[in-house]
Amino acid sequence: MTRKSISIGSGSAYSTDRLDWAQELADSGLVDYMGFDCLAERTMALAQVRRLDDETAGHDQRIPELMRRFAGFLRRGGKMVGNFGAANPAAAADDVLRGLKLNGVTGVRVGVIHGDDVLDHVLDQDLELPEMGVTAQAIAAQVVSANAYIGADPIVELLDEGAQFILGGRIADPSLYVGPIAYEMGWALDDWEKMGTATLVAHLLECGTHATGGNYVDPPYRVLDDIVHLGFPLAHVNEDELIITKLEGTGGAVDIGTMKTQLAYEIHDPAAYLTPDSTADFSHVWVEEVGSDRVRVGGASGRPRPDSLKVLVGVDQGWKVVTEISYGGAGCVERAQLAAEVVAKRLEPYQSGIDEIRYDLHGMSALFDGQLPGGDPAEVRLRIAARCDDRETADAVAFEGQFLWMGPAGGGGVTTQMAPAIGVTPALLPREDVKLITEVIEA
Amino acid sequence: MKLREFAYSRSGDKGDIVNLCVFVYDDDNWDVLRRELTVEKVRDKFGSLVKGEITRYELPGTKGLNFVMTEALGGGVSMSLRTDPHGKSYQSLILEIDIDADTEIKPRPG
Repeated sequence: MTRKSISIGSGSAYSTDRLDWAQELADSGLVDYMGFDCLAERTMALAQVRRLDDETAGHDQRIPELMRRFAGFLRRGGKMVGNFGAANPAAAADDVLRGLKLNGVTGVRVGVIHGDDVLDHVLDQDLELPEMGVTAQAIAAQVVSANAYIGADPIVELLDEGAQFILGGRIADPSLYVGPIAYEMGWALDDWEKMGTATLVAHLLECGTHATGGNYVDPPYRVLDDIVHLGFPLAHVNEDELIITKLEGTGGAVDIGTMKTQLAYEIHDPAAYLTPDSTADFSHVWVEEVGSDRVRVGGASGRPRPDSLKVLVGVDQGWKVVTEISYGGAGCVERAQLAAEVVAKRLEPYQSGIDEIRYDLHGMSALFDGQLPGGDPAEVRLRIAARCDDRETADAVAFEGQFLWMGPAGGGGVTTQMAPAIGVTPALLPREDVKLITEVIEA
Repeated sequence: MKLREFAYSRSGDKGDIVNLCVFVYDDDNWDVLRRELTVEKVRDKFGSLVKGEITRYELPGTKGLNFVMTEALGGGVSMSLRTDPHGKSYQSLILEIDIDADTEIKPRPG
């Protein structure tokens, strides 16, 4: 009997992540699978808004490029799993089929997961939105979307049906990797110890180059030889060991430092990391360097998965406007503060339409609210950010930001950004209320 | 001595909650880190940035601490008007905390 194992690489960590370096990993021959996380908290709600405007939109916009770059990988039998569907899995599947055809790839079974859109449930059950302190019905007119974080189950099911390219909507980041690992290793989805282990590997891969040196270097303390061309991480998993590494010749690092920071990234209680697949326990995880850019990890365990699925509810928040202007030299802080006071006065007639407004001084207190006092800066940048009920009020804020050309003295480099403000807020939905449907399309 | 001299950190966000992990470069400094980096010291450094609770967790396997702060991102990434709505920069603020245990701390090599 052949020893069970899987080699799986990370191909994307957000909706506009770079695909060129991911292709290098896929083409290296080191991996059988590639996982692609394409969604952040807000990406999903923005995708839903795109879909409201155009029913053929709201999915990952990189699919044409993706299919061009990974045609070779698919031809060699490589398998791909991603949440490319975002708000519109059906449209994503159409793009994938088109891409396969265009690039001359045949004989690929495309698996599609539908059903993470739970907007009706959220409104019908009037779910609590704890971070906003209201229930869904209280703000029903503003609720634009709701998607449940779904787990590895449908991925395993589709792999079992021979799917080679699997896509869905809000598949949870780690589940994109847990599914293939569970399938290839023959691990049962209710073997919580194994699910904790699979989730550990998944968690170390799901953020792409974030785990291999991205957001890590801090000279002169944390230094890596090359951070220009970071390698995407990959894992070799078998019953005896879990290895994380990256493609030889790429920059960044897979070492104790980069792995520990990724281990704790976006987790709360390390003994209870909640995902749709398990309650993973990372508190006793260990990391050991076993070669250059090669670590062995272990020590994860797990307990039963949560009964509820987390749902992200998209909430229309009107318009967000940001306007900025710079001041330099002696007295620059005083002039920027004066500018803020003047704008606040000029906006008084619009107060009722402004939900929240902030005045920050970049170079002084924008990041830490003044918790880290510094000396007199050579220059500062005033940033005015507001959330407004309507476009007219947002336009007024932008106008007053631009009018700072007219003083105080020496203000330069005005910029203004304006966009619809879509917020997302969490809720919990009983697992059984999320009905998933899988579909296999022969291409 | 600043925490930055012997430890490193990274921030992560979920909604309006930020987590900050802290690991020591040298395992010999783990006991000092555990003893000295209290919730009180972190709260003092972050002040009004954190409107909610701060909870400290330990990762004994990797010799690290994880601080979870609620109501700490101005309403969460998608709602916040802050310059850094993810709190990515918070890792640099926690490393500014002064630790009064210079004689016990093993310095970084080189």
